[in-house]
Amino acid sequence: MDMKRDYYEDVAIFTSRWIIFWFCALILGLALFPFIADKFLKTYYVYVANCIAVNIIVAMGLNLLVGYTGQISLGHAGFFAIGAYATIVFMAKLGLPFVVSLFLAASLSALFGFLLGLPALRLEGPYLSIATLGFGLTVTQIIGRVEYFGGRQGLHAPELVIGPLHLDSDISRYYLFVLIAVLVCLFARNLVKTKVGRAFIAIRDADIAAETMGVNLTLYKTLAFAVSAFLAGLAGGLYAFILGYIEPEIFNMLMSIMFLAMVVVGGLGSIFGAIAGAVLLTWLDLTLRNILEVPFLGEWLKVMSRSWFSITGVSNIQYIVFGSIMVLIMMFEPLGIYGLWLRMKKYWKTWPF
Amino acid sequence: MKKRIIWAVATLLSLVLFAGLPAWAEEGVTDTEIHIGQWGPQTGPAAAWGSVARGTGVLFDMINEKGGIHGRKIVYHTFDDGYNPARTLAGVKQLQEDVGVFAWVGGVGTAPGMAVKDYLMERKVPWISPSSGSLHWITPPNKYLFASYPLYKMEAKALCRYAVEIMGKKSVAMVYQNDEYGKNGLMGAKEELAKHGLSLVAEIPVEKSDTDLKPHVMNLKKSGADTVLLWVSPKHALITLGTAKAMKFEPQWMSTSTCSDYPYMNEISQGLWVGVITTAFGDGPDSFGPLMREYKAAFDKFAAPDERWGTFFTAGFGFAEPLVEALHRCGRDLTRERLVSELEQLQYFRGIMGRISFAPFDVNSPMCRQGQTEVFIAKCAEGGDMIQLTDWLKID
Repeated sequence: MDMKRDYYEDVAIFTSRWIIFWFCALILGLALFPFIADKFLKTYYVYVANCIAVNIIVAMGLNLLVGYTGQISLGHAGFFAIGAYATIVFMAKLGLPFVVSLFLAASLSALFGFLLGLPALRLEGPYLSIATLGFGLTVTQIIGRVEYFGGRQGLHAPELVIGPLHLDSDISRYYLFVLIAVLVCLFARNLVKTKVGRAFIAIRDADIAAETMGVNLTLYKTLAFAVSAFLAGLAGGLYAFILGYIEPEIFNMLMSIMFLAMVVVGGLGSIFGAIAGAVLLTWLDLTLRNILEVPFLGEWLKVMSRSWFSITGVSNIQYIVFGSIMVLIMMFEPLGIYGLWLRMKKYWKTWPF
Repeated sequence: MKKRIIWAVATLLSLVLFAGLPAWAEEGVTDTEIHIGQWGPQTGPAAAWGSVARGTGVLFDMINEKGGIHGRKIVYHTFDDGYNPARTLAGVKQLQEDVGVFAWVGGVGTAPGMAVKDYLMERKVPWISPSSGSLHWITPPNKYLFASYPLYKMEAKALCRYAVEIMGKKSVAMVYQNDEYGKNGLMGAKEELAKHGLSLVAEIPVEKSDTDLKPHVMNLKKSGADTVLLWVSPKHALITLGTAKAMKFEPQWMSTSTCSDYPYMNEISQGLWVGVITTAFGDGPDSFGPLMREYKAAFDKFAAPDERWGTFFTAGFGFAEPLVEALHRCGRDLTRERLVSELEQLQYFRGIMGRISFAPFDVNSPMCRQGQTEVFIAKCAEGGDMIQLTDWLKID
């Protein structure tokens, strides 16, 4: 365990010089990534990175709610949709600049998060998950019926312009998305290390005990929902520009479940876990469709499918693989990828002795 | 001696270098291959439409077996997007950058298609026959995007005209899905009925998630309609029919090409679908045209054993036909610009779908990129057989 000698050491974002060094190395790596991808790989990987960055932002928000505050949400696709729609509507219909629209959209999403947080004060576990699930489904139903939001015909994202910059390629958008994702991570780390974060954790561990200690349950539970929704809305606003076109069907229940899966697989209650979960699941989601083209394995899967199942359904194998990976991680490491990381650190601690 | 070695090395190097360069400058075309791509949902909510992409694959197999097109085999790249636009875009980007696809064909769904449209159009990659009847494809028209799925609006017009002029119906009602598909149909029905001095006696919206349609059918019954247009999904069409039967409400039902897979609809509804009139934009899978028989033979030879010979599968053939025809007309000298100009010159091209004509690109005329404007009207007979009621109708 790390020894803390005073309060400020405990709340510091970077606990040692080494961490600052590795953080700078990471930032440098992220900054160089598009050039490397452009030179040696394909810009397709920059697109994948953009999707990952957006999902990291959502996972970070959801982790604050699920992992730190102990509340559950199966409705984050709803906040995501509010963010995406509001950003586009503010920009295209009201003519506001991108940064303002994005912030307003995220705030609107936070407002809805606050409202959803009110019933959450009295609900727990499965009841809360049903309530949030209902919220997520309702949002897309309502958006789909309002002509102003394009109804089921969807909306086009306008051009992404910040001041003099036209972000019209994956690479230029990458810098914006990654910048926001890094800021969000720092924000989340700062939050959980200070008063608010400690209140969240106290509520998660025992809410009655927390209340007797003077933690205002109403304030902090709704705050957790609002912050979480704010980040989901922020990510939604960015996602709209990845696709360039949004319609209500995109923000379905499966999306909410994916978000939750990222947090759980990554490791509940850790910043690292949210990042790792978002990276792994997004990457799997986008690349498993190619599983049949993997040398040997793909052919083998096809042969097996032809003789035992139905060859037209061979694509479903990707979901079996996807599910198995999640089940295996949870079975052998309930703390998720974060748990694996902790074990690895422990194993190498005394190396080379 | 030394000079000779240098020469030899130089010759060898240049050989290697030139061998590495493609003989044809156009992306996705080599001396022996043409790379064509398509996405299709093999999993997820729209998996039933995955057979479109597999149908196209069988057509290409058939063409390759005969030696390809002007000595070039078609290399077909297809992937599963699960009807998730983010995955569609990922797959298209990856194939476009890794392989360099020459042109895209088909591609199920409005949302997945809309996610990739700008990407393909910016790169000037031709895309033929998006598999959904959306107005998005031609408003505004794009130089490299050729739509051949008939507009839902047109199908509604054809049905209303048939109901009023041929069958002498007076009170037409409509049940429509509350989205682009349903609303385009509604628009068409209203326009056509207005021409005859009529209007819809009831307009009843259905949401995709609705499961109980009793109130909807009750309203239909109250309106006293003698003809009801069903602009809904196959599931809702069947629920409506079942509910109406229980309520002893039996008007003339009419529906869209989306519900024109008669054997399938008839089997699920246990015979309720008999007598329903629909539009169709392609010859039925069991029709006797020589081309359809040829396709059936290819299906027997190349398709997976558990594949079903249905309308979605044959649609996969139909959507690729304009592309194949244009590739034939291009000859050996194949470039994207050439392909676009050959497509533009297609006039009344007839495959297994209605006749297809495009026109030179004009930003102000969306119809220059809407190839097919023809449908025919058919009726479901006992056992799910198709009785064709009209010839191909050109509606505008």
